[in-house]
Amino acid sequence: MLSWLIKRLLMLVPVFLAVSVVIFSILHFIPGDPIDNLLKIGSSPEARAEMEARYGLDRPLPVQYLIWLSNVLQGDLGTAIVARRPVADLIAQALPHSLRLGGLALLFSTVVGVTLGVVAALSRDRWPDRAIMGGVLVGSTMPSFWLGLILILIFSVGLGWFPVSGARGWQSLVLPVLTIGLGGTALVARITRVSMIEAAGRDFVTLLHAKGLSPLRIQLRHVLRHALIPVVTILALRIGWILGGAVTVEVVFARPGLGTLLIKSLSQHDYPVVQACLLMLAMAVMLGTLMGDILQALMDPRVRAAMT
Amino acid sequence: MTLLFRKTLLSASVSLAALIAAQGAMAQEAVFVMATNEVGAPTYNPIKATMLNTATGLIFDRLVSQAADLSYHPWLAESWEEAPDGMAWTFHLKQGVTYHNGEPFNAEAVKGWLDLFKTTEGENGYMAEAIASVEVVDEHTVRFVMSRPEPNLLYNLSSTFMGVVEPKSFAALGDDYGVTEVYGTGPFRLESFAIGQETVLVRNEGYTWGPAVAANQGPAKVERLTFREIPEDSTAFLELKTGGVDFLLSVPADLMGEVQKEANLAVLTLPGQDVWYMPINVTSAPFDDIRVREAAAKAINQEEILASVFGGVGAVADTFLISALPESQVPDGAKIRFDPARSNALLDEAGWAMGEGGVRMKDGQPLKVALWTQSDSIFRRLTEVVQAQLKAVGIEAEITTFDSSMIRDQYRTGEQQLAVRSYNWDNADIVDWFFGGDRLGYPNVSMFNDPKAEELRAAAMTGAKNMDERIANFTAYHEYVLTQFPMAPIYQPVQAMAYSTDRIALPETIDAPAFGAAAFLDLEVKE
Repeated sequence: MLSWLIKRLLMLVPVFLAVSVVIFSILHFIPGDPIDNLLKIGSSPEARAEMEARYGLDRPLPVQYLIWLSNVLQGDLGTAIVARRPVADLIAQALPHSLRLGGLALLFSTVVGVTLGVVAALSRDRWPDRAIMGGVLVGSTMPSFWLGLILILIFSVGLGWFPVSGARGWQSLVLPVLTIGLGGTALVARITRVSMIEAAGRDFVTLLHAKGLSPLRIQLRHVLRHALIPVVTILALRIGWILGGAVTVEVVFARPGLGTLLIKSLSQHDYPVVQACLLMLAMAVMLGTLMGDILQALMDPRVRAAMT
Repeated sequence: MTLLFRKTLLSASVSLAALIAAQGAMAQEAVFVMATNEVGAPTYNPIKATMLNTATGLIFDRLVSQAADLSYHPWLAESWEEAPDGMAWTFHLKQGVTYHNGEPFNAEAVKGWLDLFKTTEGENGYMAEAIASVEVVDEHTVRFVMSRPEPNLLYNLSSTFMGVVEPKSFAALGDDYGVTEVYGTGPFRLESFAIGQETVLVRNEGYTWGPAVAANQGPAKVERLTFREIPEDSTAFLELKTGGVDFLLSVPADLMGEVQKEANLAVLTLPGQDVWYMPINVTSAPFDDIRVREAAAKAINQEEILASVFGGVGAVADTFLISALPESQVPDGAKIRFDPARSNALLDEAGWAMGEGGVRMKDGQPLKVALWTQSDSIFRRLTEVVQAQLKAVGIEAEITTFDSSMIRDQYRTGEQQLAVRSYNWDNADIVDWFFGGDRLGYPNVSMFNDPKAEELRAAAMTGAKNMDERIANFTAYHEYVLTQFPMAPIYQPVQAMAYSTDRIALPETIDAPAFGAAAFLDLEVKE
């Protein structure tokens, strides 16, 4: 198991390097640069060249890349060109908000999604199944921007239960968590239902029935455990998405976070910030995948056996 | 726990709650939503920042204030004199002014502050570039020795970027200045700041040195101001509607109707500082012919755009500068106004005869041009109207939309013919920025490089010794540029804000170009 883990971690190194090259080059090939956001009306035409030199943007791209990479490997994410702050500070301010929102949304979609999936699987092709799957379909197709505004209109403007926006207190988290969580819930519920139905048809289930165990116990204790393996994998993959993919929700609810920081910096071509954010998100996806694999191994004896 | 102790504890908690409640009722506070274009300002350091917000102008006073008509008035400087040759300025400072950290504001402090522009890395140094050195004449008098005449000095001194910072704490705090702590002399001091989220300011109780344009010289009437940053306009509007906030510092044109529908909300407008216009690339055929440029410019029906695209809010633009600037006052003949008869006649004269399908032809070629715009919805809507208006005189314009953050690089290719864009600036030097011959592509989207214009430009930028000369020179430069038709002016928006009339009482007039210190000093909160 340990050697497997070390092997997996070592495999992350080339992936990390490839990702860093892609992030760096895509960003620098997009037309535009941060200097436009720094040049003040009235500054002289030579100021542009001076500024490019000051921020090292006049050097060849491979050189810029190597300097950046070596700094990152030494733990130095650099200073934001437009925002004028250490990138690490900007991320440190945004990350807790993203973790709180993303973590709660992930928890919500897991608990509610698995519950709905189980209920749907247990009542397969009957009305609760159809109602849940119908609801799930609607939930998964609703754009989060629109859903967020609808939730605000109902729960903040109409009922006055929660604040419209902001990041103060648990009340301000309820609607954003619901907005992000509902989309994830749909995915989790569908996968849980399909896996449950598929697992229910396996030989070991027939055996358990033959042994005389109660059907509910078989479903919840044995079938669900089996069915959760793909759900866990999907959830682990969603960690990266949840951290950076909440941009629209952050904007609608005026919450700070990594998504907002990324979009703002992208529009200003603030390279150091965008590079650091993208690298972090890529790392989150990579580590999420690794975590998914580990969890899968812990839950599935066959995978565990294959590793050793 | 004994019964007596419990009773005592209970009565103590009740009294404490009553005290807190009473303080709550007494405390005057208001919640503002920052203008959407100011969301995300990462620091309150005026010397280093590339972007500053409204709250910055309440923390820092300036030497000079500006009235709504853009004239200059005393603030931290009581009066000033300029040497006849423009090579020196003397400022007489107000007495009894202190910074938020207790340091005195005096001639030494002004010198220390201006020196920071020379020693701090950043792009704002040019604001004080013409000041060669600062001499302390006496405790309350400073003399700026200039490296060249700078008739624009008062404008720079009234800018938020020249908010007077306290030099000792600036040096001591380093990168944290403007983020964790910040000290100015303004009517409010910083209590807390969370980037992209909110800023809380509290009243400077000892403040009595407001700008001359404010009715109330201080202290401010409101004790505490919270500025929230909400990037989405509809969310901000819903916050105002539900009473979550009291004031929106910007309202887009498409939400004005919604605000006006609510009985307890009102819209406040101040003259705008934006101009929307259509640059015309003078080097790209057929626009290398001045007749075709004039024809395209005069095909733009500004009144129709004001009514149909902007719901009648704002004003038409017929020069390149906002109407409040004296340099915008060019002779009537130089103003660019809708004149379809003239457009048609000019195109006929240039050999572009009306062809089938309403598109003009010359030598078998149709009059087809490229019209660039950016991705924001308001730009796309306006550009479609412009396209239709050009079609009405026989010019077929094909629209290409670029992402707003990338369009400047596209302009640098010089391949544009027509475009729809806007700028935000309240000084005549914007003519130099967008039409200077050494900035072709971007900012000079029109690729305009004309020897006579360059001469007039040099005179306007550096030839004047005082403000009157500068105005005259810039008016002449602006007028000449207009007669060459490198662009068509379209529209001047207003600065629109919205507030709750249940909570906020505004002064009758706000004699300032923006909703800043003067307005906040006079503003009241209703209990």
